[in-house]
Amino acid sequence: MKRYVKLYYLFCKQNLKVMMEYRLDFLLGVLSVMLQQFAGIFFVKIVFDHIEQLNGWTFYEILFIYGIAATGRSIHHIFFDNLWTLGWQYIRPGKFDRLLIRPINPLFHFIADRLQQDGFGQLFIGIIVLGTAMPHLNITWGFMAYFILVVMILASGFIFVAVNLFFAALSFWMVDSLPIVWTVFNLSDFARYPLTIYHKGIRQLLTWIIPYGFTAFYPAAYFIKGSGFKNLALLTPFVAVVSCIAAYWFWKKGLRAFTSTGS
Amino acid sequence: MRKYFEFARVQMQVHAAYSAWFWANTLSVLLRMLVIYFFWSAVYSNRANIEGLPFKGMITYIIIAMFLQMFVSGVGKELAHTIKDGNVAIELMRPYHLITRLIAMDMGDKVIYFIRGALPLGILAYFFLDVTFPQTWLSGILFLLSALLGIWIGTFFDLLIAILAFWTINLWGLEVMKEAVVSFFSGALVPLILFPEWFQTVSLFLPFQAMVYVPVAIYTGILTGTDVWMALGSQFIWACLLFVSLRVLWSVAIKKVTIFGG
Amino acid sequence: MINVQNLSKHYKIAKRDPGLRGAIKSLLYRKYEIKEAVKGIDFQIEAGEMVGYIGANGAGKSTTIKMLTGILTPTSGEVKVNGIIPYENRQKNASHIGAVFGQRTQLFWDIPVRESYELLKHIYEIPQKQYEETLAEFVEVLHLEPLLGIPVRQLSLGQKMRCELAAAFLHRPKVVYLDEPTIGLDVAVKVRIRNFIKQMNARYGTTVILTTHDMQDIEEICQRIIIIDDGTVIYDGSIDRIKSQFGDKRVIHFELENASHFTLPGRLVHDAEILPKEEEDPHKVSITFSSKDITGAEVISIIMNHYPVVDLTIADPKIETIVEEIYGKGMKKEVRHEEVF
Repeated sequence: MKRYVKLYYLFCKQNLKVMMEYRLDFLLGVLSVMLQQFAGIFFVKIVFDHIEQLNGWTFYEILFIYGIAATGRSIHHIFFDNLWTLGWQYIRPGKFDRLLIRPINPLFHFIADRLQQDGFGQLFIGIIVLGTAMPHLNITWGFMAYFILVVMILASGFIFVAVNLFFAALSFWMVDSLPIVWTVFNLSDFARYPLTIYHKGIRQLLTWIIPYGFTAFYPAAYFIKGSGFKNLALLTPFVAVVSCIAAYWFWKKGLRAFTSTGS
Repeated sequence: MRKYFEFARVQMQVHAAYSAWFWANTLSVLLRMLVIYFFWSAVYSNRANIEGLPFKGMITYIIIAMFLQMFVSGVGKELAHTIKDGNVAIELMRPYHLITRLIAMDMGDKVIYFIRGALPLGILAYFFLDVTFPQTWLSGILFLLSALLGIWIGTFFDLLIAILAFWTINLWGLEVMKEAVVSFFSGALVPLILFPEWFQTVSLFLPFQAMVYVPVAIYTGILTGTDVWMALGSQFIWACLLFVSLRVLWSVAIKKVTIFGG
Repeated sequence: MINVQNLSKHYKIAKRDPGLRGAIKSLLYRKYEIKEAVKGIDFQIEAGEMVGYIGANGAGKSTTIKMLTGILTPTSGEVKVNGIIPYENRQKNASHIGAVFGQRTQLFWDIPVRESYELLKHIYEIPQKQYEETLAEFVEVLHLEPLLGIPVRQLSLGQKMRCELAAAFLHRPKVVYLDEPTIGLDVAVKVRIRNFIKQMNARYGTTVILTTHDMQDIEEICQRIIIIDDGTVIYDGSIDRIKSQFGDKRVIHFELENASHFTLPGRLVHDAEILPKEEEDPHKVSITFSSKDITGAEVISIIMNHYPVVDLTIADPKIETIVEEIYGKGMKKEVRHEEVF
């Protein structure tokens, strides 16, 4: 374990060095993602200029949901972005073999191979949005509340990771599962708004099948009085752990299939 | 002309070959339509209209705008990659105009996408999501004209940005940034009439509203009477302006290749 | 060091009709085709041996290497490398092996070579002192000094390959697999790389498995070759033996005024054969024979008596020709000979 922490630190150091080599790129990437996120927030603001609340949710509550989603996703975006590339950058060109002849866990190596600079834009925006929304929520922000918020955001990030890992692992059987990963990822669009606005079926899907509901809405609902989702919200870290385990199990299964077919 | 037509035709076949991406895209559009539908239903849950737009008008606007937005970006990405990996030098030696070829391919793509993607999905939206037809035949025809101008403007703007690849490295960032600005100012997310006064004034002087807002506003009857003709006129001016600036910027960029070797 | 017993690998290939209909049909039921890439091969390689593992494209070479490195699990049979079953204990096996896979880089694309090595040091847990010594040595032998500060993506092919080799040997592995280490390189770099491999073998007793199409590599580096064809080992032994066994083969290329209706003159029919043409040239014809049956001088004079010869070249009995012969059609011919006698 200690060895992996140290290795990750070394990989990160290298990746950061590369990033700093292209400073303009770094800025462009961060800025572009910030702008993209900002467009989404601006959209909500425009809509709320004309209404007071959305299905009982105020502007700042929606902003808070948005902030948790953005911050959580930034964890995924910065540290686990390589998951997008499994099929077309590793398996198809045969680069994955390289990871298999190293004396370290191939998933670790694969993840550590890249640090995505653009994710920092997402992180900044997420923190700014949270900072804007939090004072307007009807709760006192003590140590415990902050602690839970951090846990929730981490859990949110790892749910994003787990879902992508799960569907990326399909690449072991079908060479490149990117279209599937991308489609599933688009489901997370639903998670930007309160799940209560959707049809029941969609709500169930996003709670129990592809648990994107736990990446933003449920964690946010924990902090919003009278939301009625407090109990479900507390499941968030648990859901994160279970999804990660399931995804890793699927990855292992995929890897085994890969080493027996070696497509 | 014949050879450019061939490029368009080949591109149609290429498009058909990537069926995994086609289905992924179709499904994603469906999902987005659902999000849009539920979101706006919630917005309208206790009011009849916003800025004079009833629910039906709003949902029609948003869905049509979403489809149109898919057509206003172009082959900028291909151009940028051709520039980046140095293949532009080879392309310049070939017996065709690179930009024209890319536009021809783009047209092939768009025609196929219209038939296979937008049309069936649009019909679905008509039956299930309260999307309506334009009120008059004239606004329908003017919408088509305006949409074509909008697509023209979007395509050329896309290529214009792509040429910046001669001077920058992070193509993905450039792409995302452009995408964000376009969806922001073009009225693809929400009708511009919902925006604050100052924002509407600013966007009057930008080419973006000509890409999506103008055609869709004509379709949904947000723009009527002389406003329609004014808007079409400004679209036409933008179309010419972008066409000329693309030619100028391209020749400057080409000089960079031929003199400095890229 | 390496023990391969009755090793087989079968692939199941799903057959699918083209188009959307085919895709849907394949969801319901699939037709499979079994491809036997490796059909029960055996060999032992001792520690410190340098073995050339050769065969035509698709003969099963890289499938075997993948099984030896643990990337692929065999269908049946057993592999042991240094007492470890690679595909069951991949990570443990990985710490004792090194590899260069042709054009695919093992280094880290964007970062300078020195930093790549630094990372590998940690990945393979090389003690600092040993790392410094090894690197200093490699830098000298492979002339890496000017390359260390450059990111891999900016290196030329030859420079990259030198760096790759150093990376493969950096942790002083017991076994190193080299797949086409000299492909596309100029002669000077090839020589340097061959010397390096030999030096590593001499100093650390590294076992080397080399797959290549460059017979010069084989002749200079390996004492032993294993030839695989269509998934089975067709030759396993020393280079010297193969030379003496097949070394009587000679090839003479003739350029004639007109060779379109060429047939072997009667006196040569039993002792020589026409080689299939590599290129469609109506003037050229190549004749192969064994020096045990007939001398080159005789062949030349017979042909010259029958046809107007413009030019001729006598090909050396090099390992290339021999191997070509073996996995072209030679083995089948050998079998035929045995049947005759």
